[in-house]
Amino acid sequence: MSINDLKTGQSAVIHAIGGNPKLAKRLKALGYIEGTRVTVRGSAPLGDPIIIKLRGFDIALRRKDAEFIKVREG
Amino acid sequence: MITAALLGNPNVGKTTLFNALTGANQYVGNWAGVTIEKKEGFFGKNVKIVDLPGIYAMDTYSNEEKISKEFLQRDDVDVVINIVDASNLSRNLYLTFQLRQFNKPVVLVLNMMDVAKAKGIEIDCDKLSKRLGVTVIPISATKKTGINKLKEVLENSNFFTSLIDNDCQLDNEADIYRHIEEILKECTRTTGGDTITPTERIDKLVLNKYLAYPFFILVMYLIFQFTFSWVGQPLSDMLDMLVNDYLVPWVGSLLSDSNEWFQSLIIDGIMGGVGSVIVFLPVILTLFLGISFLEDSGYMARAAFLMDKIMRRMGLSGKAFIPMMVGFGCSVPGIMSTRTLESEKDRRLTALLVPLMSCNAKLPVYVLLASVFFPGNQTLIIFSLYLLGIAMAFIVGWIFDKTIFKKDEEPFIIELPEYKMPEMRDLLIHTWRKGESFLKKMGTVIFAASVIIWFLSSFNFSGFADINDSFLSYLGKAINPIFIPLGFGTWQNSVSLLTGIVAKEVVVGSMGVLYGGDLKSILPGFFNPLSAYAFLVFVLLYTPCISTVAAVKKEYGGKMMALSIVYQILLAWVVAFIVYSLGNLILGII
Repeated sequence: MSINDLKTGQSAVIHAIGGNPKLAKRLKALGYIEGTRVTVRGSAPLGDPIIIKLRGFDIALRRKDAEFIKVREG
Repeated sequence: MITAALLGNPNVGKTTLFNALTGANQYVGNWAGVTIEKKEGFFGKNVKIVDLPGIYAMDTYSNEEKISKEFLQRDDVDVVINIVDASNLSRNLYLTFQLRQFNKPVVLVLNMMDVAKAKGIEIDCDKLSKRLGVTVIPISATKKTGINKLKEVLENSNFFTSLIDNDCQLDNEADIYRHIEEILKECTRTTGGDTITPTERIDKLVLNKYLAYPFFILVMYLIFQFTFSWVGQPLSDMLDMLVNDYLVPWVGSLLSDSNEWFQSLIIDGIMGGVGSVIVFLPVILTLFLGISFLEDSGYMARAAFLMDKIMRRMGLSGKAFIPMMVGFGCSVPGIMSTRTLESEKDRRLTALLVPLMSCNAKLPVYVLLASVFFPGNQTLIIFSLYLLGIAMAFIVGWIFDKTIFKKDEEPFIIELPEYKMPEMRDLLIHTWRKGESFLKKMGTVIFAASVIIWFLSSFNFSGFADINDSFLSYLGKAINPIFIPLGFGTWQNSVSLLTGIVAKEVVVGSMGVLYGGDLKSILPGFFNPLSAYAFLVFVLLYTPCISTVAAVKKEYGGKMMALSIVYQILLAWVVAFIVYSLGNLILGII
């Protein structure tokens, strides 16, 4: 399950970060680490990008990049 | 003299701190090879502060990070001032940990202590200092508390060089974050749970499914009105009037006894040229005031978020919308504002596309020809030109994105910072710096170009001459055959287009001089509606004016300038040719 599968307001725990190494590295540097809780705060009116809350701050990500953030319930 | 590097995440108040420390005593340049601002400032006699770009980490491959890294590796950097958001320590301290590899003393400035407190976060600064091995100074840059303490520490070089604690050789993100969390558990205490912050409340409205775009359009409209109707343009018009109605006649009367060509050089060449620069200034200043306000308030990131899906089709990210929109007023501030974009690719590609947005100066040309050849349909004709410009931006953007900018694919990761009221001082300093750099650097290019064009239009081989018989008219006649396939190949048109390179509205004036008389009755002898429209298409798309070209050169260098000039001439010719040929074909069938 990726972060794209979460609905607005739903939260989950990061399971793994995939995708190209550059993207993964940038996400990890921002604190997207396995075991960290993330919440989807919403999406742009056109459905993309989405807003993700993590460690108390908000990041906007395109869905195609968010696909690489795998999450599990918890 | 000690040199301090100021470093921190974006949106943590770094600029506010820099301005608070250095006041107006700062100098702005560019880092070598990229369009990232390099700001240096001084306070007291012996502290120099270099403001590095806002970054989240040292090793995720951005130009900003590369610059910071190279700078920190230099021997003359004595201390690193690392400013962090006290209300969001875990992410901020990640960068702090990466700063250790440079073996320089670090002063950790905990900004927004007041915000942290309001969120129920208590920080034990002494303990944090011990655990991290750095000097820790709590401040609030906006409330000006703690700044004196920081100044004192810097002035007395009162920082200790920490040795990297060998108990943790941390080399991956997960380990560093785990370590940070341990430290924070010891040094901070959070009371009160997750409450809905004011920012979330505002976002509920501003990013709402139905209200987001209307609100966005309203904001853009206000900025546009502020710049081009309420404040900037009226000031520019006043300045223009001052120059043309008072200064020019006054200088003219002073020079009345001197040579005819000398008068022309001073008045038409130099004053005309410099005048054309000066009158841009109020527009640029007001526009940047508006943009800085959006930037500092936190709305700019939301605008980028809202526009991303649309802008992506031309190979850009959402934030590039702002310079493009500004381009409808004037390309010069549009190109100057590309600096605020995240990636070098976005900056360059946007700078190339901005001039396709039909600017104010082209409007007089549209109005003239549309009223002569399309009476009753002027609005439709003019509107179609604006749309054509936008369509071209999408097509050209798509092509450039797939060809020359192919390699540079940046993921779109953008922080939506908390909303805040911008600091007046930051806005004014930023705005003033834009104006200053505009005057200093572009002024010279425009000045030189104006004098050259003046020379070409006022002289021929036998000396001072009328424009009808000048070098420029020879040039116009020589290039004229290029325009014959487009349906408007008269030498008067060619020369008018050449003079339009100074400023687009000049095309109308030149046509007046060259056709010699009332254009409304003369032009139908030289154009039909189709060739008139092809001419307008050409005016919309061809080489940007000198001021715009100078802006591209200043921000991106000679190569980009050449690319900008060449591609637009080619584009203008091809599109005007298609319009004219297709039009003839259709008219033939009908």
